[in-house]
Amino acid sequence: MAIMMPAADQAVLDRREAIVAALRAIVPGEGVIDTPAQMLPYESDGLMAYRQPPMVVVLPDTTEQVSRVLKYCFEQGIKVVPRGSGTSLSGGALPLADGVLLGLGKFKRIREIDFDNRAVVTEPGVTNLAISQAVAHAGFYYAPDPSSQIACSIGGNVAENSGGVHCLKYGMTTNNVLGCEIVLITGEVLRIGGKSAENSGYDLMGIITGSEGLLGVITEVTVRILQKPETARALMVGFAAVEAAGECVAAIIGAGIIPGGMEMMDKPAIHAAEAFVHAGYPLDVEALLIIELDGPGVEVDELITRVEAIAKRSGSTTCQISNSEAERNLFWAGRKAAFPAVGRISPDYLCMDGTIPRGALPKALTRIRELSEKYGLGVANVFHAGDGNLHPLILYDANKPGEMERAEAFGADILRACVEFGGVLTGEHGVGIEKRDLMPEMFSEVDLNQQQRLKCAFDAQGLLNPGKVFPTLHRCAELGRVHVHGGRLAFPDLPRF
Amino acid sequence: MTTELRFETVDTLKVRDAKDVEEVVRAAIASEQPLEIVGHGTRRQIGQPMATNAVLDLSALNAVTSYEPNELIITVQSGAPLADVQSLIDSKNQQFAFEPVDISALLGVTGSGTIGGMIGAGLAGPRRIKAGGVRDHLLGAHAVSGFGDSFKTGGRVVKNVTGYDLCKLLAGSWGTLAVMTEVTLKVMPKPESERTLLLSGLDDLAANRAMTAALGSPFDVSGAAHLPNSAFRPATGALAGLGSRGRAVTLLRLEGIAASVADRADSLARALASFAAAEMLQDEASAAVWRAIRDVEPFAAGGTLGAWPVWRIVCPPAAGGALGQALAHDTGGDVLYDWGGGLIWATMPRKPDAQAGLLRQRVEAVGGHAALIRAAEQVRRDVDVFQPQPAGLAGLSERVRHSFDPRIILNRGRMVRGAAT
Repeated sequence: MAIMMPAADQAVLDRREAIVAALRAIVPGEGVIDTPAQMLPYESDGLMAYRQPPMVVVLPDTTEQVSRVLKYCFEQGIKVVPRGSGTSLSGGALPLADGVLLGLGKFKRIREIDFDNRAVVTEPGVTNLAISQAVAHAGFYYAPDPSSQIACSIGGNVAENSGGVHCLKYGMTTNNVLGCEIVLITGEVLRIGGKSAENSGYDLMGIITGSEGLLGVITEVTVRILQKPETARALMVGFAAVEAAGECVAAIIGAGIIPGGMEMMDKPAIHAAEAFVHAGYPLDVEALLIIELDGPGVEVDELITRVEAIAKRSGSTTCQISNSEAERNLFWAGRKAAFPAVGRISPDYLCMDGTIPRGALPKALTRIRELSEKYGLGVANVFHAGDGNLHPLILYDANKPGEMERAEAFGADILRACVEFGGVLTGEHGVGIEKRDLMPEMFSEVDLNQQQRLKCAFDAQGLLNPGKVFPTLHRCAELGRVHVHGGRLAFPDLPRF
Repeated sequence: MTTELRFETVDTLKVRDAKDVEEVVRAAIASEQPLEIVGHGTRRQIGQPMATNAVLDLSALNAVTSYEPNELIITVQSGAPLADVQSLIDSKNQQFAFEPVDISALLGVTGSGTIGGMIGAGLAGPRRIKAGGVRDHLLGAHAVSGFGDSFKTGGRVVKNVTGYDLCKLLAGSWGTLAVMTEVTLKVMPKPESERTLLLSGLDDLAANRAMTAALGSPFDVSGAAHLPNSAFRPATGALAGLGSRGRAVTLLRLEGIAASVADRADSLARALASFAAAEMLQDEASAAVWRAIRDVEPFAAGGTLGAWPVWRIVCPPAAGGALGQALAHDTGGDVLYDWGGGLIWATMPRKPDAQAGLLRQRVEAVGGHAALIRAAEQVRRDVDVFQPQPAGLAGLSERVRHSFDPRIILNRGRMVRGAAT
């Protein structure tokens, strides 16, 4: 394993039997899993290159149980790794050998649908898609739509601040959640927000969203739901050069049009997808854009015409426009199946997730191509082009010695390039363990210290999901020290009034 | 030339760059003298009276660092005047989609303040229901914490989950966590046209139901406000014309390309026909009305209700009508509704506690919260200006504050009553 996790605490491991018994007293029956065979499904998440059996798995089904489990772990100094559906692509739910894996899979109930307030109150184990399905009969949906939406849980979405294809127009998880019930490591249960548009005091919901399971365990979420747009139509536009596709994206945004989704695929991704789902993608283009416009029919028709004209001016070589739902879904089929499609042409692949300013797309693609040659590994590129979120898929074979390490080094170089071009390490998959050691590429020690101080406000002992997000762990006491620079400080003359 | 920073009198320290901010905060830590963080001072009257000994003035940090219309972002120093930044992005047909509230008329001060003040206050206008609030548009920040350290958070792209999103905390923190020096904000294209449906004569409950129906429709409503008849006291301004009708008005805004707006306006009018027949306000007339609602013009300091305290109440939107109606009745005051009922501005005859007890009891009963935005200093001293939180949440909030500013150097006591001493 290339990434080091915190050393296991032998004193905790020695008490394993007592710990399991104590957890059984809190969560009866099948809610505590401690045999190696039964724990197998929990030893990895969506970042499957990394595996680690936990000390024990606990699957509580009430907030009270979660609270008691956490309180027990807090008092006993036991580490806890929360887990939703385990679809994280950054290793956010990777267990620890001396840690309790706290699964929220039994929290499967939607508690309340409130159409008047356009809100759904749900338990965290409910899948993203199930929320949309539960409100579809009234024309509503929940907007963020990560590709894993059939499996990923809403609690995991909050932990990771998940995005999706449509977040260019409708925002990420953080823009679509209103409140939550959260249990701190001490066992304290807090309710934050509710059905109001915003909360009072500091925006704690905003900080919990995307905190990757390091601040607390979410036991209830209130999300905002929206009316489904009346129609959606898509254009599938091919370009002879990636640069032209990048220009087209910038021109559409520059014209004041915010499409519902705007995706780009490069040639290897197009070919892999076409071979897999036969969506009718043009095979002789270097880049393909799928641009979806949604809203009232009259608006969509008008915007389709405008976007088509922009695409032509940007040098498109092919352009198809969907005229039915079936056709629109076909355009998307290839894009949505891009990851499994690439899985068919390569034994293994690594999915990266950096974001760059839209304008840097051509530059980033050139760099990725150069790196691909340098590392001798193939790459297929799938982008959320509208918001500059790159998903290069690095192709490798884990059975060939050294190839996985090479793929990881390639990936790290891509993310460094993203930061160099003015972007960030991760757009939607999270830091987890995958990008943890790259954090100093983007943040100074002072920046990271401030983030860790905030962690201390929630979890002073560092028991929740340690080893994720931060490359170096500091003690809270050390972080909290204020350096006083003398009684009085000489400093440049400032105008005074 | 250097001088020593002393706090013998209330000094105003006008900083020139982030380094100056660091040094002033470090000096303040060393001499245990809390600082009041000020841009143009537009919102100084909001919050608990503070225990600060010096003013850190950011107004000279006023540069636009970069504006990239095609990337939909602008990076500016925190002391940049909001009005200047807005006219700059307006020149490229872009805007802050959350419609920052210009609080000056309500408070009786001049100017719309700085970008830093806009973020620190976190007050968003009518489009919040569709586009989100200030917190949804702050992408990145450079700031100096109460440790005297410059740190950065977020970035210059929209899609970013790298590390904790400290921007969310900075927005609406009233300068109590860190001194922002430079920020990156998301900008959005301005809609090509707008139209407002005006329904007359609905009482607060019916209006609330009409707004709920509109916001639950697929017609993409970007503003939903209700002005009860009683709220029509201004004799001038965009709302005066509506007021002369002598009836309550409910306003629903649609924005976008002209053909779409026209189409949706017709559909929405039909959908709401059972409430009232709709009149239409077009483009500039529509925009003027929404500016007046955004800035709470009926309760302006210079108006007939100018001497009364003003509360800002946020609640579940469908509960707004009943809540506002009861508040107006019980306090002998006046209300106006935005966000489909989810935001209520309430004003009432003066009492030593600005009727906080009565008001908060009703607001809490529906799961809302209330902040006292306008009141005399003595009232703000005696009343919880911001909604008091349950003990657990208050404890966590205090630990969060402490994690940024353990010595309570920045805007000491502004958000929590009693914390100043």
